[in-house]
Amino acid sequence: MNKLLNWLDDRTGIRELMHEALFERIPGGARWRYVWGSTLVFTFSIQVITGLFLWTAYSPSAQTAWESVYYIQDVMYMGNIVRGIHHYSSSIMVVLMAIHLIQVIIDGAYKAPREINYWLGLILMQIVLALSLTGYLLPWDQKGYYATQVTTKIMGATPIVGAQIQELVQGGPAYGHHTLTRFFAMHAGVLPGLLMLFLGLHIYVFRRHGITTPDPDRAPETTFWPDQVLKDAVACLGVLGVILALAVFKGAELSGPANPSEAYSAARPEWYFLFLFRFLRFEAIEHIGLAFGAIYVPGALMGIITLMPIIAWWKGGHKFNVAFMWLIAIGVGVLTGLAMYEDDKDVGHQASIAEANRDAERVRELAKRPSKIPIEGAGSLLRDDPFTQGPRIFAKYCASCHRYNGHNGRGRMVMEQLKEQENGKEVSRAVASIPTGADLGNFGGEGWWKLLLLNYENHVGGFTKIEDSEMATWSKDSRKAMQDPKNADDVKAIYEYLASLSARPDSEYNKKLVEKGRKIATGEEFITAGKFASCTDCHGTLGETFEATGEGFGYPDIADYGSKPWLTAFINDPGTDQFYGEDNNKMPAFKGKISDRELDLLVRWMTGDYYETEVEDYESKVKVLEEALKARNGP
Amino acid sequence: MDSASPDSTSTESPAQPTGETAAFEPPRRGFFVKFLAAFLGMIVGAVPFVTGLLFFLDPLIRRGKATQDGAMNNPDGVEKDEDGFVNLKVAVDALPADGTPQAVKVHDDKVDAWNKFLNVEVGTVWLLRNEQGGVTAFNTVCPHLGCSVDYRQSNDDFYCPCHQSAFDLKGSKLNQIPPRSMDQLKVKVKDGKNVWLKFQNFRGATTEKIPT
Ligand code: FES
Repeated sequence: MNKLLNWLDDRTGIRELMHEALFERIPGGARWRYVWGSTLVFTFSIQVITGLFLWTAYSPSAQTAWESVYYIQDVMYMGNIVRGIHHYSSSIMVVLMAIHLIQVIIDGAYKAPREINYWLGLILMQIVLALSLTGYLLPWDQKGYYATQVTTKIMGATPIVGAQIQELVQGGPAYGHHTLTRFFAMHAGVLPGLLMLFLGLHIYVFRRHGITTPDPDRAPETTFWPDQVLKDAVACLGVLGVILALAVFKGAELSGPANPSEAYSAARPEWYFLFLFRFLRFEAIEHIGLAFGAIYVPGALMGIITLMPIIAWWKGGHKFNVAFMWLIAIGVGVLTGLAMYEDDKDVGHQASIAEANRDAERVRELAKRPSKIPIEGAGSLLRDDPFTQGPRIFAKYCASCHRYNGHNGRGRMVMEQLKEQENGKEVSRAVASIPTGADLGNFGGEGWWKLLLLNYENHVGGFTKIEDSEMATWSKDSRKAMQDPKNADDVKAIYEYLASLSARPDSEYNKKLVEKGRKIATGEEFITAGKFASCTDCHGTLGETFEATGEGFGYPDIADYGSKPWLTAFINDPGTDQFYGEDNNKMPAFKGKISDRELDLLVRWMTGDYYETEVEDYESKVKVLEEALKARNGP
Repeated sequence: MDSASPDSTSTESPAQPTGETAAFEPPRRGFFVKFLAAFLGMIVGAVPFVTGLLFFLDPLIRRGKATQDGAMNNPDGVEKDEDGFVNLKVAVDALPADGTPQAVKVHDDKVDAWNKFLNVEVGTVWLLRNEQGGVTAFNTVCPHLGCSVDYRQSNDDFYCPCHQSAFDLKGSKLNQIPPRSMDQLKVKVKDGKNVWLKFQNFRGATTEKIPT
């Protein structure tokens, strides 16, 4: 062993190098406060190691970036852990960097002769932030895609050459393959290379001047190895523990695949850029312009931070620097907190996040099917999925009158501006809009039929009563018999039968009950106690197979009610004589207004015809809506 | 760990004569501190590396699991029966009655990581019709080093141009160049006319026929 070392040493001088590296003098003894620099080097090494491994599975293109990250995250062995470590290390690195910088400023470690090293450190900080920014886009998910758009737009706001810079960074006029290849080359090649270079210089210059010790006489002088190494190693272990805990228990997020046509209003930058995001949202700042808020102000602040070693030449300069640093730290803290607090209180933002999470879970569920992801990318999985698109189409076309479990299909309340006179002035406030059509949350199911049969006048018109209707009269007349406990079994059978007409693939129907219900509904049999007019008295086709003829007598054809063909024909034109007939119909015909594709997705969603899901649906807002409507009418 | 006092010189281990400490003023620290520092240092370095390495070994760790994708009856995919035979869409009658080999492309659904490609070319086979109306199939991949075996009309045999392997029409090797005879594949003739085939590739340059 010794021989080998000697041989190596003769040729490389490795001993001196090792000695140089390990036996740096530390006057005043090893201390915990010196560990921050080492933990930074450590997190960077983690990033290099995990980054290289992730590289072996990542594929930068608009059709494969999200897909490969999904594959890493959900399919590959330990992929979620490796990606989690890489993700959270970047956050931790920013935290450690802030601590390091604060400490350097407080200790005045930037003062002569260490100015150059301080500036090297600031350059390193910029590189780390650039790494984080470029890395955020690489999964090509909604979150990264839209958050990074903001950054490149800011670049576009640079005076004079903005447009050119933006186009160069994006690799074209819009985001696409080359945005990814460019960002990836920066993230995995150029920036780490630069970082290593500057880190080398930083450490070299640091070693040249030695450590900054506030009180060199505190303890006897020691060396880096092993005393300080031990403390550093313990600190690194702590850092690693935090990263691992986050990676294992929280996991790195992966939102739905980037979709340029589906705006993602909940996009936020990484949390450590939130302060800047919030700063730009101040009305005053918005007024002055993006370049001012996003380039000049941060530029000026960074300028002052950069000049700190020079400011310190003057008497009181150091005190000014420390005060200035705390001011920025407090400002950043307050803005970050404010941004988080506001987002938390913002109902619209929370709804966007809920929708994004729903999409993310759903697309990963679809990607796991044996048919896997089509070549055109995972975006198409969501585009062709009724469970994803149905709510959006509902919100677009139906939610002005109908609700879906109280919301607009996408989990949001439908609001309108109410103008009021208050102290002689006109003020407007946002209130829940009053639905004029039925809540379609359980369309065609047992609950639906219960409301329809028992409470027609209050059901079909949403929150507007419909009384002058034959069906409402039937409902009133039959209510007693329907609710008679002696008829309970019969009524149950009727509901089962009527619900079975929709033949939802996600429901099972009791055959015996269905048959019994059919007999009663079509008048073949009667209920046990009392009586009511059978359905077929008016809806003659009940029990037959539905056919869209457009012909009838204005009594809605309820053959196969709620099934795909029925609902398609109904939405296309509810005013034909096969349904309500012109006189009784309030719903617009959608034929020609809605594309066939959209109608198909909507109908398949409403009839439960889509790949089975375990994704939680939007929370019911029925109660909230009722409360809101009560409140609307005012105290 | 401050208690591993910097001035405890007494525990300096004599078993540290290596160059790193011998030639220079040795830092006089307890063995325990050194050991712990090195040990913890190794741990923190090893964790990210080992997790990454396990991730990299994914193809070996998940081998076999990944291919069990179940036969999905996708209308755009190939027609495949429970035993894994694909419909070649070739009628027995369409093959030359005199037993002349006919090259036929084989299509299959191919899984590639997160994608599944439907109905793509995965290989070629030689089909030969025999007198009883049965069909014999050989993978065209040469068992030597993987070139493509041709049918040589002049000799009425199979011949690989790369290193001159030759086989008779039963697939048996005619010289010592290939390690084994041609790789015969299982064939079913359904309804007395349609050829179905179980397509497989085999490792090259082995005397045994080992599926890849
Ligand atoms: S590969 Fe066919 S002879 Fe060598």
